[in-house]
Parts: sequence; C-alpha cells; structure tokens
Amino acid sequence: MSLLKLEDVSLNYHSPKGETIALQNISFDVNDNEFIAIVGPSGCGKTTILSLISGILKPSSGRIIRNDNSENFIGYMFQRDHLFEWRTIWQNVILGLEIQKKKNSQNFEYINSLLQKYGLYDFKDKFPRELSGGMRQRVALIRTLALNPKVLLLDEPFSALDYQTRLNVCDDVNNIIKSEKKTAILVTHDISEAISMADRIIILTPRPAKVKKIVELDLQKYGTPFQRRECSEFSKLFNEVWKDLEN
Amino acid sequence: MKHSKENYSKEHLLYLKKRKNNKIIVLSSQIGLLVFFIFMWELLAKIGAINSFITSSPSKIINTLGELWTSGDLFKHMGVTLFETLAGFFITTILGTLIAIILWWSEMTRKILEPYIVVLNSLPKIALGPLIIIWVGSGTSAIITICVLICIIITIITMLNAFLSCDEDKILLMKSMGASKFTILFKLVLPYSAPNFISMLKINVGMSWVGSIMGEYLSSSAGLGYLIVYGSQVFRLDLVMTSTVLLCILAGLMYFAVALLEKYYNKKHR
Repeated sequence: MSLLKLEDVSLNYHSPKGETIALQNISFDVNDNEFIAIVGPSGCGKTTILSLISGILKPSSGRIIRNDNSENFIGYMFQRDHLFEWRTIWQNVILGLEIQKKKNSQNFEYINSLLQKYGLYDFKDKFPRELSGGMRQRVALIRTLALNPKVLLLDEPFSALDYQTRLNVCDDVNNIIKSEKKTAILVTHDISEAISMADRIIILTPRPAKVKKIVELDLQKYGTPFQRRECSEFSKLFNEVWKDLEN
Repeated sequence: MKHSKENYSKEHLLYLKKRKNNKIIVLSSQIGLLVFFIFMWELLAKIGAINSFITSSPSKIINTLGELWTSGDLFKHMGVTLFETLAGFFITTILGTLIAIILWWSEMTRKILEPYIVVLNSLPKIALGPLIIIWVGSGTSAIITICVLICIIITIITMLNAFLSCDEDKILLMKSMGASKFTILFKLVLPYSAPNFISMLKINVGMSWVGSIMGEYLSSSAGLGYLIVYGSQVFRLDLVMTSTVLLCILAGLMYFAVALLEKYYNKKHR
C-alpha cells in the first residue's frame, strides 16, 4: 500500500481578476522510502503541490490520502535554510521540539546523534553566520528530522547554493535521507538534480499543471547522486525529460 | 589563515597602526572642532565682533549655570524635562509596539485602520496641542500626552513594517512544525524585528525630545523648554542658550544609552 496518494487533485486560485486553474487532475502515489522528484516549467505550481500535501492548502477538488497517522507526518525543507540568526545551531535544531513541547532527553539524544553523525556536533554552540552554506543546509535538514517526519518535502533546497556546494550537499542530503529511511518529495527545475536523486520523476505541464509523464529511474545501483551523474544512461534520460518539458 | 598576535606580519602591523592612527585623527578633530568653536565664540564676544546680548557667550553660559545651580533650579528644570521625555519615550515604545502587534495579528483590523493611520501620520500633531490641554489639563500630563502623540504613529508604522517584512517561508516553516500564531509571534516575529526595534528606539530618542519641548512651549511652569520660552520673552538669551546646551547634553546621553544597547545586542547576536 502506498504511503501517500493524490487522487484527481485540482486547485483553483482566486484573485480579483478572476479564477486561475493552478492544478488539474493531478494523481500519483508515493511509496514508503521512495524518492520522488517533481519537475515542471517555472510557475506551473510545483510548490503548490507541496503545500497541498502538507495541508497548508486544501484542494478545490480531489483527495489526498495518507496511509499513516503519525503526528509529524510532514517535514518541510526550503530553498533557503531559514535558520534563525539569533539562535545557536543547537537552539535552531530543537525549534520544532520547542514548538511541540517535546523537549526531553530522549529526543535530545536523537538530535545529538544526528549532529554527531553528520559532522555538526562541534558547531552546536555556534551561530548560523559562522557556518558555510552547505553546513547550514545540513543543519536545516536536521532541524526538520528532529521531529521525526515520515515524508520530507524538499522545495528546491539546493538552488540557493553555488554549483560546487550544491553537488556536495546533494550527496549529503541524499545520504541522510537514505540512512534515516525517509520518504522524500523533491520539487526542482533542475533536470539533472532530479535524475541524480530520484527513484521516480513526475513531469508536469505548464499551467494549468497536469501530470504529463512519470519516468521510472533505476540509477540507485550507481551510488551517490554525484556518481549517478556520470553513468551512461544519464544524458539519455536528461534528453528525454528535457523534451517532455519542452513540448 | 589567522595568525596569533605574536606573529603578525609586518604588513598587518602596519595596517593595524594605520587604522589606529585614523581613529586618533577623527577623535582629536572632533574634540578640536568643539574647542575651536567655543574658543571663537568667546573670543568674538569678548572683542565685541558679535553682540553677546543676542548670542550669549560660553562664559556667560557657565555663569548662568552657576546661578541655576545655587538657586537649586538647575536639577529641577532638567529633572522635569527628563521625566517628561522618558515617560513619553517609554509609553510610546510600549504602546506603539503593542498596537503594531495587534495590527500584525489581525489583517482585518489593519485594513480597517489603515486610512486613519495614514491621515494621523501626516497630521501635524502639535495642532492638537490646545485641544489636549483642554482635555487632560495643562502641565505634565498634557506634555506627556503631546509627546506620545508626536512619536506613536511613526512607531506603529515602523514596527508594523518590521513585523510584516518577516519572511513568509519562515512563517510557513513554523506552521509546518505546528506553531500557533502566538508561538510564531514570540519565537520568530519579535526576535526577527529586534534590529528594527533598536533603530526605532533611536528615532524615538529624538522624537520624544521634540515632543516634550513642544509640550512645554504650549503649557508649562518648569523644564528646559519652559526656560527657553521664558528666557526669550524676558530677553535673557543667556538662559535660552544655557537651556539649549543642557538639552544637547541630555539628548546626547540618551542617544548614547540606546547606542550602548545596540552594541550589546550586536555583540550577542551578530
């Protein structure tokens, strides 16, 4: 059984000028531990899908079914790390626990183990400005993981980083997601990023967005996203997705 | 790579020295300018190049200060104005921030009140002075009311803009973690607006002095503003000048206190 299911989801935006159809009959499944990438032309409503899944927006029609009733089902990760500059790294990563009043030694232990595992433990008492862009993005991911969500929603999480850092952070984040056994939905306009990370790519049409095509990938065997970029199928897949996006 | 203090390169030592020299030049010029100004003022008054009956002179100011001191009026007048200013300053800061929070909280209230705030902002508040004296009575309460009135609208606008400039994605992040509006306010919006809060305090230092002195011009029986009005009416310009100098010192000190607060904040957070 799939973890999450979108069934004929549509969404209309209302503005004084009129009604815009943002999403039209979107349907797809997300399985446990799967990494899904959503690509589409800019402004087609990719981020809107994440807002719907997270429950911030309600669909105009259709259903979103989650087959799981854990309290923190969703964890969000944004384009910018959005660390709070006035808080230390530690205070930043426990933000969610603070909000949900779950500050206890068991949860702290989990966060400490994450910090240790991903090389941030020594920076616990530093402020965000003292960390590099890649490290900040890792802190942001640990802040999200602290609440132990089932599904991670990644909204172009690498696009604010320079190219070099992006490739590294891509590997880091992929590694963390896999070893913490999370399900992930990545929204991106970067085709090679989608191919290098995802198990499945959902290609959207221009607005009103519909699912144009779903591409199954099998590049896991090649290793990290960086290594996958070097495999022989990569450029073929890239062209395929590129063409689908073009027309 | 950072070097420890002992093994700085020659180039770096030179850089540090240059920096220090620059600082010395700026500071000594600042003091020198003041001394020169006071000296020229005194000199020109002594030789009669300027009429010290109209312009007063540093020595006359010191004499006046001495007179005020011996009669015991010096601290009375300073105290009265300082109290009015500080009361106006704190009431404005607290009340203005509270109103800004309410307007941030409720978009509907914000929309409804927007035209009123715009009109109140462009209205010269001092025009309401006579009305306020009739309403709250002359004296300290009227002066503090005028002071608050002059400062509060701009405080509300500044703080509201600061609150509203908080990143939408940061709010979304808090929401996705299940934060209530109350939590968003206290854990995100308020700390996020702290730098704006401090610059608002700086503006209000100046504004609250304007407020209290304006208030004293309209109705008062003590205070530095009162001395200025009284001095000009009886043509004792020494008194006017002395009060102005005292105002400069007090306002400067208050600004300095806020600047210290800012320094402390920056040291902790930046």
